Amino acid sequence: MLSVENLEVRYGGITALHGVSIEVAEGETILLVGANGAGKSSLINAVIGLASASRGNVRFAGKDINALPCDGRARAGMGYSPEGRRVFPTMSVADNVLSGACGRGGTAQREAWSWLCGIFPMLEERAEQPAGQLSGGQQQIVALARAMCSFPKLLLLDEPFLGLAPVWIERISEAIRHMQQRGTTILMTEQMARPALRLATRGYVMRSGEIRRSGTVAEIRELALAEEYL
Amino acid sequence: MQGIVATSLIGISLGAQYALLALGFTLIFGILGVVNFAHGGFYVLGGYIAYSAISFLGMPYALAVITAALGTAALGYLFERFLLDRLIDDHLATLMLTLGLYMMISSGILITFGPQSPAFAFPLTGVLRAYGFYVPIENLVVLAVCVAGIVSIYALIYRTDFGRALRALADDRAVATAQGLRPKVLFPTAFALATGLAGLTGALVTPILSLAPHVGDPVLATSFLIVILGGLGSVGGATVAAFLVGMVEAFSAVYLGGSKGALALFVLVLIMLVVKPSGLFGQRARGA
Repeated sequence: MLSVENLEVRYGGITALHGVSIEVAEGETILLVGANGAGKSSLINAVIGLASASRGNVRFAGKDINALPCDGRARAGMGYSPEGRRVFPTMSVADNVLSGACGRGGTAQREAWSWLCGIFPMLEERAEQPAGQLSGGQQQIVALARAMCSFPKLLLLDEPFLGLAPVWIERISEAIRHMQQRGTTILMTEQMARPALRLATRGYVMRSGEIRRSGTVAEIRELALAEEYL
Repeated sequence: MQGIVATSLIGISLGAQYALLALGFTLIFGILGVVNFAHGGFYVLGGYIAYSAISFLGMPYALAVITAALGTAALGYLFERFLLDRLIDDHLATLMLTLGLYMMISSGILITFGPQSPAFAFPLTGVLRAYGFYVPIENLVVLAVCVAGIVSIYALIYRTDFGRALRALADDRAVATAQGLRPKVLFPTAFALATGLAGLTGALVTPILSLAPHVGDPVLATSFLIVILGGLGSVGGATVAAFLVGMVEAFSAVYLGGSKGALALFVLVLIMLVVKPSGLFGQRARGA
């Protein structure tokens, strides 16, 4: 589904990623673990195209997408939920969610909306409220629903649990399981590795802009414990 | 009583014109983060396109107005797509570009048509008389078209996918792009919409007010003032402020006389900036 080879990302003089390679197969849920500044968000941003790679290769669904701009990658089948949620604060909840499926036609939008409302009743209750007025957990639901609205092949979740209370972490986890049931491939980053590992099928440990280890959930859990990530 | 009603009608009709101009101005600022100093230029250009279409091509007035709106929209599209878009995040560069375009438009018109006002009159004249009030028909026509324009813009922005995409880009450009929205298509289209509105207003209003190469200057100043009063980037604020400004202008011109109208307006804005710097409906200063 997604294959990243030898990716390098620089911001000014700082190198955020030094030749990172990862593989994500269809149907997997891959977790990127690592401390703050390890390069997890840079990797997600380079995959969606918000950060440009100075070297390396990104292949998605069998095609090289290095030349494809960010919006083109999203339309090719990537959904993106950014770190810190970043909902559109002045827009209503419904508009936020449907902005993820612009130009897909009214029928597809209505279908997506009613499916999402089935999973997250909160969306329907708050449909007309500006998203900027919601709590952090509710905003995270909106950001997830926005990323899911086009039913992407690959879902990129950057720190979906950041700053959330345990009850919301449980609800977001539940939502991610719904997406897994639809067969969605997921690449997610999380500092809160413990709840995230319950969702993942495989993981990578990142440090200082490099992949240090990779392995099954059990292996990553042990590694992360040893290196004090949990 | 009659005087108040008549003055209010003038105020409303001024307000509707200003709303069309200010909506375009605030859209460009809200979505692209660009202060369009060429806005008045598109207004004048709209007037001259309509004038030329009637005088040299023999078009009927309605068709000439449509031509002016489309012509200014097309110029706006090309300008954004091929010049402004390259430097969209550089505030100083976009300022120079739009200011430069304004100078090119107004001196181009000056060279082509000369400094004098051409004979450009509204095709419908006459006065409607009802219940003891007199209303010029041309003002009614302009008011009707402007109100239809305002309603259409609202429908476009709040009821369509296109509008939703524009609002998303205005709120958070990076995230909106990562949802698959195309700035390369939407930015020039939004710019064209705004300049087309300025051109439409110019074609409608200049035969009533006046047409000359320099009449864009006060348009820019008024648009600026309305948008600051309403809150930068706020669509609702711009609409309310436009009617407010129209009313203040009409009443102070009639009851205070001449130049005191402009003075009253700037005092109003000054008070606004001191009391509530974000404007009537402004929520936050726009992040660059």
